[in-house]
Amino acid sequence: MTQPPLTLRIRTAPAGAVVELAGELDHQTAPGVRAALPGLELLPGQQLVLDLGGVEFCDSSGITVLIAARNHALAAGAGIALAAVPEHVSRIFRVVGLDQVFPAHPTARAAEAAWRSTAS
Amino acid sequence: MTGRTSGDEEGGPSEHPGDGGEHPGDGGPADEQAQFSALLEDSAEDLYEHAPCGYLSSLLDGRIAKINTTLLNWLGYERDDVLGRISFSDLLTAGGRLYHETHYVPLLRMQGEVRGIALELRAADGTRLPVLVTSEVRTGGDGQPLLIRTTVFDARDRRAYETELLRARKEADRERERLQRLATTLQRTLLPPALANVPGLDVSAYYHIASVDEVGGDFYDLFPLADGAWGLFLGDVCGKGAAAAAVTSLTRYTLRAAAVYDPGPVAVLRNLNTVLNHEYNGDDPRFCTVVFGLLTPDHDRGGFHITLASGGHPPALLMRADGTTDLLPTPGGQLIGVLPDAHIAATTVRLAPGDTLLLHTDGLTEAHVNSTAGTGSDGHGGVTGGGDARYGDDALLDFARALAPTTASDTVGAIRDLLDTLGSGVDDDTAVLAIHVPRPPSGEQQ
Repeated sequence: MTQPPLTLRIRTAPAGAVVELAGELDHQTAPGVRAALPGLELLPGQQLVLDLGGVEFCDSSGITVLIAARNHALAAGAGIALAAVPEHVSRIFRVVGLDQVFPAHPTARAAEAAWRSTAS
Repeated sequence: MTGRTSGDEEGGPSEHPGDGGEHPGDGGPADEQAQFSALLEDSAEDLYEHAPCGYLSSLLDGRIAKINTTLLNWLGYERDDVLGRISFSDLLTAGGRLYHETHYVPLLRMQGEVRGIALELRAADGTRLPVLVTSEVRTGGDGQPLLIRTTVFDARDRRAYETELLRARKEADRERERLQRLATTLQRTLLPPALANVPGLDVSAYYHIASVDEVGGDFYDLFPLADGAWGLFLGDVCGKGAAAAAVTSLTRYTLRAAAVYDPGPVAVLRNLNTVLNHEYNGDDPRFCTVVFGLLTPDHDRGGFHITLASGGHPPALLMRADGTTDLLPTPGGQLIGVLPDAHIAATTVRLAPGDTLLLHTDGLTEAHVNSTAGTGSDGHGGVTGGGDARYGDDALLDFARALAPTTASDTVGAIRDLLDTLGSGVDDDTAVLAIHVPRPPSGEQQ
């Protein structure tokens, strides 16, 4: 074991929690991310941002985690956005039609700016 | 490592009498010290004779010069039977003696010590005693070897432990085989035992199991509907294992039941979406991607019409009788089970005589190609992050182009060969289903 297969970092921004994922999002690592979701503090009207810039691999189990995050945000009355989606992940998203469901932005900062412009 | 020198005398502690006993009437602590001192004085000789391990000292020619009571008791020998009469190797079993000659003694000569060797001693009554043996060469002041000191530990417990370990391992192996059989059986129940025989259609399917330990989530079926129509589906449930198998089972039966009431492919997938969405939501969402097709015979011109609806599944490949090959896209279709109002996209084509339609799951296109040479791909393998090359959609399209025109069984046969070539690069289950409208006999003579 050189590096953990997946690292997860959570930071709080004015718009809501930003979750940075790096590594492999698959059926080995998905349960760990799912377990972290209930701990995310989200207020109604906020936006949960998933920063996927460091995701090297994402399979169907990884997709379920992103959907679980979306369910979590919607249940809190918040929105969800993706940031820095790698091409190999956005390709899967296009095939399964999730590109219509998750707004995507080039960076977490851009996602936050988009939230500000809709909130104001 | 050198042996101990002769100046290192045993029984040292007895020459340094404690002073605690020389202060009578000094109260409790002094008495305790006296007892402790007595223990020390008593222990050296007694410890040697009755230590919880065997001791023996042998001369350089192997003859036993000294042996403790513990070891004599273990072996059931009298001291006089042993001292000066036999050597250490005489106490060993035949196999142990051979090992002693060929390994133990040479190592001892080279290194001055040998540690923790498992041997078997033969007791006077013929029973065998498993032991762990450690020896050291004791040298004189001039560095010349004088004798060999050996400690012998009773290893009966350890032998029992090893036997127990072996037994547990065999048990675990048996359990693993049982689990694999169970997984294989469960997998089989999720697939039709044999594809239905559709008049006027050549059909073929294959399921590639990537792991014998876990049930995969791919599925397919082909079944009759009313008025000469046929339903078919192929899909992929997210995840692996028992939980995925439960979703696969629910998906399969829902699709078949829904098609009986309303065989329209979009309606069938909507129905499935509602069922899965009600069953699995919240923190543990489950979804599948699936293609559902409704085949109706074209009585006027021959062949079939097929309406395909897709819920987020990779597009089917259509290999025409004239050799042209294209994807059959259903853009905008969304995966089934997690969105309350998933969009389902449909398309209709006519399958003329000579045409072949191929449905597949992404286990094939997601297969790793970097570890395998000569995959038949011409560099179209998709690249994910980290430089991990996958077989890819473009490579599959080229592969199909090279096959066309073809038949269902030839297509599935070629895909099986391709999966074999990709070997361990295929780390997810793969299902393929091909249907082909044979040319009429007169067409074959052209």
